[in-house]
Amino acid sequence: MAEYSRIAKGNFTATATTQYVNLPFAPDFVELWNYSNIKTAAANTVARAWWDSKLVDGSNNPTMIEIYNNSSAVVFDTIQTNGISAFQAGLSFQFGASQQIVSATAANPIVVTVTAHGYNVGDTVVMQGLYQSSSTGMPQINGVPFTISAVTTNTFTIKWNGSGSNYTALSGSPSGATVRKVLYPFLYLPEDNVVSAITLGATTTVVTTMYHNFEVGQEIAFRIPNAWGTFQLNSLPNVTIPGSPIYGYVTSITDNWTFVCNINSSSYTAFNPNQPVSGLSGLTLPQVLAVGDINTGGNTITATSPLYPPPQFPTSTNRVGTINGPAIRGAFVNNTSQGFFIGGGVANVDTSAAVTMIANGNIVYWRAYLSDYANP
Amino acid sequence: MSVTTTGNLGPMILQSLAPAMLYVPTPTMNYITVCDKVSMPANGGTTCRFMRPRALQPPTVQLGNSGIDPPAQIPQRDIIDAQMAFFGTGCIINEQVILQDQEGVLAWVSERLAVAMRQAEDLILRDYVVSAASEIYAGGGSNGFNPTNLGVTDFSLVATTLDTNNAYKFMSGIEGMDRFGTGPVRSAYFMLSSTELQSDFDALTGSGFLSQWNYPTNASALPSEYGSVYNIRILTSSEAPVARNAVTNTSGATTDLYYNTVLGKQALTHINQDGYSMNLIYRDPYYSGMLAQNATLAVKFAQAQAITQDTAIRNLLSTRLSNLGV
Repeated sequence: MAEYSRIAKGNFTATATTQYVNLPFAPDFVELWNYSNIKTAAANTVARAWWDSKLVDGSNNPTMIEIYNNSSAVVFDTIQTNGISAFQAGLSFQFGASQQIVSATAANPIVVTVTAHGYNVGDTVVMQGLYQSSSTGMPQINGVPFTISAVTTNTFTIKWNGSGSNYTALSGSPSGATVRKVLYPFLYLPEDNVVSAITLGATTTVVTTMYHNFEVGQEIAFRIPNAWGTFQLNSLPNVTIPGSPIYGYVTSITDNWTFVCNINSSSYTAFNPNQPVSGLSGLTLPQVLAVGDINTGGNTITATSPLYPPPQFPTSTNRVGTINGPAIRGAFVNNTSQGFFIGGGVANVDTSAAVTMIANGNIVYWRAYLSDYANP
Repeated sequence: MSVTTTGNLGPMILQSLAPAMLYVPTPTMNYITVCDKVSMPANGGTTCRFMRPRALQPPTVQLGNSGIDPPAQIPQRDIIDAQMAFFGTGCIINEQVILQDQEGVLAWVSERLAVAMRQAEDLILRDYVVSAASEIYAGGGSNGFNPTNLGVTDFSLVATTLDTNNAYKFMSGIEGMDRFGTGPVRSAYFMLSSTELQSDFDALTGSGFLSQWNYPTNASALPSEYGSVYNIRILTSSEAPVARNAVTNTSGATTDLYYNTVLGKQALTHINQDGYSMNLIYRDPYYSGMLAQNATLAVKFAQAQAITQDTAIRNLLSTRLSNLGV
C-alpha cells in the first residue's frame, strides 16, 4: 500500500438530496452505495455512484452511476453536473453560479422565483440588482445574506418583510437581478448577523436573515442605524454608566433564525424595514453580533445549567459542521472543513424521472480516497 | 577563414544556474501585524478565555447626612471564549531530489512552508474578521453604488464611532516639521485595506488624504502603510477581502465590494498555545518506507482568534471609484 495515500469510509442516513461529508482531506476519488435503493431495487433509483476528480467531459466533471431504470433493470448512466465533488471550505467569498431572478413578491416573507434553482432549505444566498426600474424594486436587500427557509422547485423563501410601500415586486426577469449561493457561510461561529425583524416587549424577539448560530446565554450587541427604527438597542451610549457598552443576553432560541433576548424594548421605536429606495446610498444594515458567551457575571448559572454542553452545530440540514473537537457553548470557533459533497444532480440518459444519488431517509455507505500516485 | 561559433561548438552543458533564486511575490500580512498576541499555556485546555470587567456606576449622588450607606453594586464581567484549532501542511521529497538538485531544496522548501504558514495565520484572521465584525456602509463617495466609494466623511464617521466607543488608538500622532510637502499626522487607528483602493486614496489627496511619503518622518510608518486620512492610518495588501461583482447599481452595472477593517488596540486577538505558533518538522528518509526513500518537511501551528473589544472594530464596506489596472 502506498505510504501517504488516504482512505476513509463511513455511512449516513440522508436527510435531503444533498449531503456534505467532512473528512481530514479533500478526496480525488469517491464511491458510494445506496443501500436503501439496492434493497428495494425500485425503478429509477441509484444503486451505486463513483467519481474521479480527473474525469473531464467537456466542461463537466461527471459522476458515474449504476441505476435501476424504468423497468428496474440495472443500467449505467452519468450525472453530468452537480454530482459528487470535493470541497475545501477554508476561505471566504466562495460563491455558486449566478442565476437569473424571474420574479419576487413584495410580501412578508419574500418569495423569489428562479427557474430550477436547485437550492435547499438551509442554503445561504445573496441577491443583487433587485431593481424593477431605476427607482423601484427591492434593492433594500441587495447583498444581504439570507438562509433559505422554504423551497419549491422554482421558488425559495427568505426571512424579510417586503410588504412595505417602498418595495415593488420584481417581474419579467429584470436585467441584472441575480442570486448566487454562498458556498460556505459559516466558516467562523458565531458571526455578525443582519436583523430582519424585531418584536418589542418585556423581552425582545429578533429574527435574523441567516442562521444566527447563537446559544442561550450568548452575550450580544446591536448595531441598528437610526433609519431602521430600534436604535435604542444599540450598545452605546449608556447614560447610567458613561462609556460602558450595554449588552443583551439570549434567553431562548426559537429557531435557526429567531431568538429572544433579555432587553426590555417596550418603549423603543418599532423596527422599520420599509426603507426608501432613494435613501439607500450609504445606509448601513441593522446587525446583531456575538460579543461574549455563556457563564458571564451577568447571566445567572442555575444548578442545572450545563457548563460544557456539546457543540450545537450543525443545527439543520446541509450545514458544514466543524471537524474540531467539542467547544464551550458560544465560544468563537473555527468551523472550516473539507471533504466531499453529494449534489442533487440527476441522471443524464435516464430522464424519465429525476434520478438522484440520495433521497431523504436513504442509508448510504461511502468510501473516499486520496491517491499517492495518479497518472496523469 | 572559418570562425568557430556557438552554433557549431556549443558549451558542454547548455545551461547554468543564475546566482540566486527569484523572489516569490508575497502579499503583506496586515491582520497578523495589528492584532494582539496571547499565548495559552500548555495543559491549558482547548479554549482561551478572556475576561473584561464591567464598569461600575460612578457614585455621583452625595451621601447626605443620614449615615446610611448607599446600596452596594455587583461587580460583573464579560467573558469571551475562543477555541484553539490546529493547522499544518507539508511536502514529501524523494531523496533523489535532495541528492541531485543543484539548489538546496530543503532550504527553500522550508522557507516556502514558513511563508505559507504565516499567510495562513493572516488569512484565517482576515476571514474571521469579515465574518464576525460589524459593518458600516460607506456613503461619502459619489460612484452611485451602495456602499459608495470611500469619501473622507466615511473615515471621519468610523473614527468618530470608535472614539465614541472609547477605543484605544494604535499610533500617537506625528508632529509637523519644517519640511516641504509634509504635514502632521493625527493619532490613529489602523485601517486594513486593499491595494486596489490605492488610486482611490490618491484621489483624496488635498481633501484629507496624506501619503505616507508626506509624513514628517517615516520612522513609525509600517512597510505596508499607504497613508492616512484624519484619524486613520491605512495599511494595504493585495490579500484584503474583496467580494467580486457583489454590488449592482440602478443601471445594472456591477462592481466589487471591499471590506476595510478599521480597528483599535485589543480589538482583535491572535492566540497560540504554549508557543505552538510554528513547528517546522523535518523527518529524514530513514522514517519513510523500508527503502527509506522519502524525507518530509512540514509546518504545524495552533491558532485561535477572537474579537476581544467589539466596540473597537468595524468593517467599513466600500466599492471603488477608479477602474482596476491589469
